[in-house]
Amino acid sequence: MRVELILNGRGATLDARTDEMLLEALRREGLLSVRETCAIGVCGACTVLLDGEPVSACLTLAAQAAGHEVTTVEGLAESDPVLRAFDEAHAFQCGWCTPGFVLTVKAMQPGDEIREALGGNLCRCGCYVKIEEAVRRCGS
Amino acid sequence: MDPRVTGEQRYSVDAARPGMLHAAFVRSPHAHARVLSVGASAVPAGCVVLTPADVADLGPYGCQVKDQGVLADPARHVGDVVAAVAAPTRAAARAAARLVEVEYEELPAVFDPLEAVARGAPLVHEHAAASAGDAVSIGVRPIARTNVCHRFRIRHGDVGEGFAQADVVVEEVFRTPGAAHAPMEPHAALAEWEDGRLTLWSGTQTPFNTRADLAGLFGIAEEQIRVVAPPMGGSFGAKTFVRLEALVAALARKAGKPVKAVLDRAEEFVTLNRHPAVVRVRIGARRDGTLVAKEVDCWVDTGAYADCGPGVATKMGYAGVGPYRIPHVRVDALAIYTNLPSNGAFRGYGAMQSVWASERTMDVLAAELGISPLELRRMNLLHDGDVFATGEVMHDVHFEDCLRAAADAVGYEADPRGKGLCVLLKGMQTPSRAAISVERTPVGYIVRSASCEMGQGVRRSLKLMGAELLGCEPGQVEVPDPDTDSSPYDTRTTSSRSTYMMGRALREAVRDLERDGERGLGEVRNEGGLDPDTGQGIASTHWHQGAAAAQVAVDRETGRLTVEHLHAAVYAGRVVNRPGAELQNEGSMLMGLGTALFEEIEFADGQVANANLSDYNLPAAGDMPRLTHELIEREGAEVHGLGETALPPVPPAIGNALASLGVHVTELPITAERVLEALDR
Repeated sequence: MRVELILNGRGATLDARTDEMLLEALRREGLLSVRETCAIGVCGACTVLLDGEPVSACLTLAAQAAGHEVTTVEGLAESDPVLRAFDEAHAFQCGWCTPGFVLTVKAMQPGDEIREALGGNLCRCGCYVKIEEAVRRCGS
Repeated sequence: MDPRVTGEQRYSVDAARPGMLHAAFVRSPHAHARVLSVGASAVPAGCVVLTPADVADLGPYGCQVKDQGVLADPARHVGDVVAAVAAPTRAAARAAARLVEVEYEELPAVFDPLEAVARGAPLVHEHAAASAGDAVSIGVRPIARTNVCHRFRIRHGDVGEGFAQADVVVEEVFRTPGAAHAPMEPHAALAEWEDGRLTLWSGTQTPFNTRADLAGLFGIAEEQIRVVAPPMGGSFGAKTFVRLEALVAALARKAGKPVKAVLDRAEEFVTLNRHPAVVRVRIGARRDGTLVAKEVDCWVDTGAYADCGPGVATKMGYAGVGPYRIPHVRVDALAIYTNLPSNGAFRGYGAMQSVWASERTMDVLAAELGISPLELRRMNLLHDGDVFATGEVMHDVHFEDCLRAAADAVGYEADPRGKGLCVLLKGMQTPSRAAISVERTPVGYIVRSASCEMGQGVRRSLKLMGAELLGCEPGQVEVPDPDTDSSPYDTRTTSSRSTYMMGRALREAVRDLERDGERGLGEVRNEGGLDPDTGQGIASTHWHQGAAAAQVAVDRETGRLTVEHLHAAVYAGRVVNRPGAELQNEGSMLMGLGTALFEEIEFADGQVANANLSDYNLPAAGDMPRLTHELIEREGAEVHGLGETALPPVPPAIGNALASLGVHVTELPITAERVLEALDR
């Protein structure tokens, strides 16, 4: 099926099977920052923004994105304050989970409790101390 | 901006070649079973099926014991690969793999290392031969017609005489479970043959060891194999030695096309895990607290294939002695086959398992003696010039500084209730060899080495050290991915050795460049090793030294243990990459916290019962206690490896903190159930 959507700010069409997850369809588009990790929606590594809300691309059917706006980190400008905060705070080691964290933080609202907001993202390298620092930098 | 932040970083899962096929594996549902037949008649055309006949000409492989075939027969654990399929898409390959018909004859199986060494236990391997080369730096000592693939001994002094001098003797047995490395990036490898030459793109910590093992397997010269190692999305020891490389190379050989494999999360749990272990410690002291004798017995479950289990058992054995002066020491460590998935290198490399036992026992002894656990440790710690149980004279020793710093961070001396300590000695790969090259370019320098990036920051450390030595900006130093065709030889990226060893080699390379003008090559070796029969020799030319302190509270109604504060003090010598060093400490401590409180692979008749990240919990941001740490530096000191040191001391520090409240838990993880059981005793 053809899925028409706004992908990283531009109109796009994904060619996807009806049973296919958004994760596979985005990777086929070359958006390789979206990474299959747990495949059951608990680790947050494949987080993308669907109309600004963080969702797990491994649990979202490609078809569900039809007519909606999808954002991956490839769609963020280098000047993006969240990207800059992660870079400056050294809030990553291997970098695999970083795009998912960045997008989760993009969707945070003022006053959100940091650890609660990050509850759906796992970092096995254990960079949480510096990730929290990056989030605080964004807030200030 | 760093490509890891912008999402531009590419890993081995992203590797692609024109016309490549995707692999899927047919895995045994039985823990131990002969493979009677493999039928591929139902598999659709366009798929390539790898069956036992296709690998009959391929020799066995294994980094320390050659005990593994490309396809398993018999299957020795649930999930062992008995056939493989390549197809144009991953989905098609997985669908085809389900259509391969395998007929099995079940065999008796064993899942516990103590049962596996009991008389009459089923044998996991009838025959196996020790490997040669750089992946095995100790003499492997199997015990014939048993499941023991290696036994390591330390014989230092006379323990009989030592215990006769002791006023107090305590003996304790501790257990640690299997655990998952759970790197966020799964294992992935891509193989391509061209004119008899094999190229592999694989996220691996061991490109040269992998090349050597595959050369033996395919019966070709090492130079006929090229291993390219893209950065890994985490590894922690999981991506060491041959994992998927033999399978994708054999599939690609049959298909005549490039073949790539990417594991799913459940497969990760049957690929390589941490060694479950049972460790018994007996220790004797004089009334004044002077240690006089110690015995350590380790039963180390290496699973269905030895992998580096002999090395892990060796390190577990000598790390269990601890950083103490003890005149009489006996250690016996057995690496034991069982019908569980293979266990291998895991951040800490066996140290955590025996340090959990030995440092918990120190607090039991302290209580018996009526001496503070801090004081008991302090008075027995090794100092420069002291002789360790291996007979080597210790140098560059800072255990007391680490212990003192950890104790002070939690106010241990003022009030030790609810607080616990642990001090750690961990070796670095000895012997080993590290080489590196530097080339001048019009805009800067290219530094080539086989030190693999897995998030630990080795690329950045090499850039920073290179810039300092070459007098340029870090941005002018290019560090390409390891490639066995162009990177000089390195033993492997393990045991927190790269910054120390490659840093020294880089200094040589820069000196050589100054002489040559265009290109410089530097190489350093560290010599040593232990006699596996006596444990005498040089265990390590470079000691990782650290300590941890924990402060906990326990709810006696529910058994809930709360870690309120965790502190690690690690000897760093001189820090090269400060944020990277801090991240290594923080990450090690968090992995130690998971190990202490909840990480455990659960098995039911050899089947992993929690093979996903919902049932197998990893520490999340919300699990963090107050987490503090320090990097102890000294003017003019050598650089010290930092990748693992802060992990092994965390579980014993937490266990000792809990024990100070009268709750003696001997098995990890310290779940609420185990706390309640201990309260009932």
